[in-house]
Amino acid sequence: MDKDLILLFLQQGIVSGMVVGSVYALLALSIVMIFKTSEVPNFAQGEIFMAAGYCALFLLVFQATPVWLAVPLTLVVAFAGAALFRRVVLTQVSRASGSPVNLVIATLGLSYVLKGLVRRTGFGDTPRSFPALVSTDGVMIGQASITRLDVAIFLTALAVMAFLFCLFAYTKVGRAMRAVGMNPKAARLMGVDLQRIHMLVWGLSAVVSAIAALLISPKILMTAEMGGIVTMAFAAAIVGGFTSLPGAVVGGFVIGIAENLVGLFISSRAIVVAPFVAIMLVLIVRPQGLFGGRVAIKKV
Amino acid sequence: MADLLEIRGISASYGRIQAIAGVTLSVPDGAVVALLGANGAGKTTTLNTISRLVPVTAGSILFEGRPIERASSHAVVRAGISQVPEGREVFRDMSVRENLEMGAYGRSDRAGIRQDIDRAFDYFPILKERLQQKAGTLSGGEQQMLVIARALMARPRLLLLDEPSLGLSPVLVEKIFAIIRRLNADGLGILLVEQNASVALGASSYAYILENGEVAVEGRSADLRHDDSVRRTYIG
Repeated sequence: MDKDLILLFLQQGIVSGMVVGSVYALLALSIVMIFKTSEVPNFAQGEIFMAAGYCALFLLVFQATPVWLAVPLTLVVAFAGAALFRRVVLTQVSRASGSPVNLVIATLGLSYVLKGLVRRTGFGDTPRSFPALVSTDGVMIGQASITRLDVAIFLTALAVMAFLFCLFAYTKVGRAMRAVGMNPKAARLMGVDLQRIHMLVWGLSAVVSAIAALLISPKILMTAEMGGIVTMAFAAAIVGGFTSLPGAVVGGFVIGIAENLVGLFISSRAIVVAPFVAIMLVLIVRPQGLFGGRVAIKKV
Repeated sequence: MADLLEIRGISASYGRIQAIAGVTLSVPDGAVVALLGANGAGKTTTLNTISRLVPVTAGSILFEGRPIERASSHAVVRAGISQVPEGREVFRDMSVRENLEMGAYGRSDRAGIRQDIDRAFDYFPILKERLQQKAGTLSGGEQQMLVIARALMARPRLLLLDEPSLGLSPVLVEKIFAIIRRLNADGLGILLVEQNASVALGASSYAYILENGEVAVEGRSADLRHDDSVRRTYIG
């Protein structure tokens, strides 16, 4: 491989990786914010993402709802659905048994329910394509070629991340969410309504996942299995330390770029392995993840 | 004097284990009342039933004459009861300022909150120097001061203090109790849970001693301090 080609591949891999990585980062953020407050890895995150995509598809294509209405409506449905799941199902499950394992199983249950729902409605039978809301004309960044849609995806994802940062750092409700994650008992003693915060976190997480779905759906074929992309988001979260929001963002970009570089330099068939190699490398060098704090030793 | 807090025969249990049974006690307006007893006697459980972290199975809790035994934990804070939990439960990864602001979670009067942060510096000058530092990096004594200051940010009328002297050096214990006396002089009612009976009896006007979840002895602190059987059992 000559030097020019290597340089070209590098640029293309990094630029394309940043685009898809920004979507992984959003999904990883959704997972991490729930894990931090509920200590539950939400295995339904991919299906929430998928269902939100189909909700938008249904509104835009089948109901011909205008974009300005369809997008907020999708986000509202995602928020309400997830908040309700947290309030009704998870509250009930944790009341019946304190073990977090049962909560995890409940999220697995939700993933099957959502997949089943999409299949039952008939939309999930055949792969469908989602209309691009931004033109797919080409844009050159250095020597890398991407589309206007890619630029829009990247910028929107960055805006969502900035919004989340401000929310957690500067608002009362965001601070309460962090407080619940750090020390739920102390948060209750401050007068924080845990139930309400949990509902808001789940709703917010679903909204972020729904935005990820709206961004990436035009680039992929939609099927009921598209939630499998969440594997990449879990990889991103693990690389970032699983409890760190900045870690989730960096992890998303690492996984996105690794995937693209492997595809260009090695083989497109090796792409599926890339995230797992990235996880292993990070866990060998830094077992707590790139941004995970001190290794926590729990007394049993 | 009217009672700020009145607890009548409350019981609470964890699963099938009864933690407290028929505890009756009261905190008069503007008083410091001590709740003493050995480990596992039910002192912390009593505080947690008042803060509504532990459900009450029987009895009633009146705060300023209103029943609160069925209220939610956040409603109790808003009503005017703050708890300083045992073990310095700070928000480790938040700055001292953010911890104090979390204490004012139920309030929205920005000017009043800023004023109360200044008042916290008045009680605990060290916190002013540590303001931007993460709470997890503070020393044990500083964390204890921070959790007390944080509880005050809710502008409570009753403060529940759980083992404020635990793990602190005698100098720091003296410092913390000087502040407790000062808070009380400023009109705050305090229910003080302590294992260090001699310090607690010195700081309070009335005391209850719990044994196996029940009130075994009660009386004026000054009397209990000089009572021989109490001295032998709890002060040593």
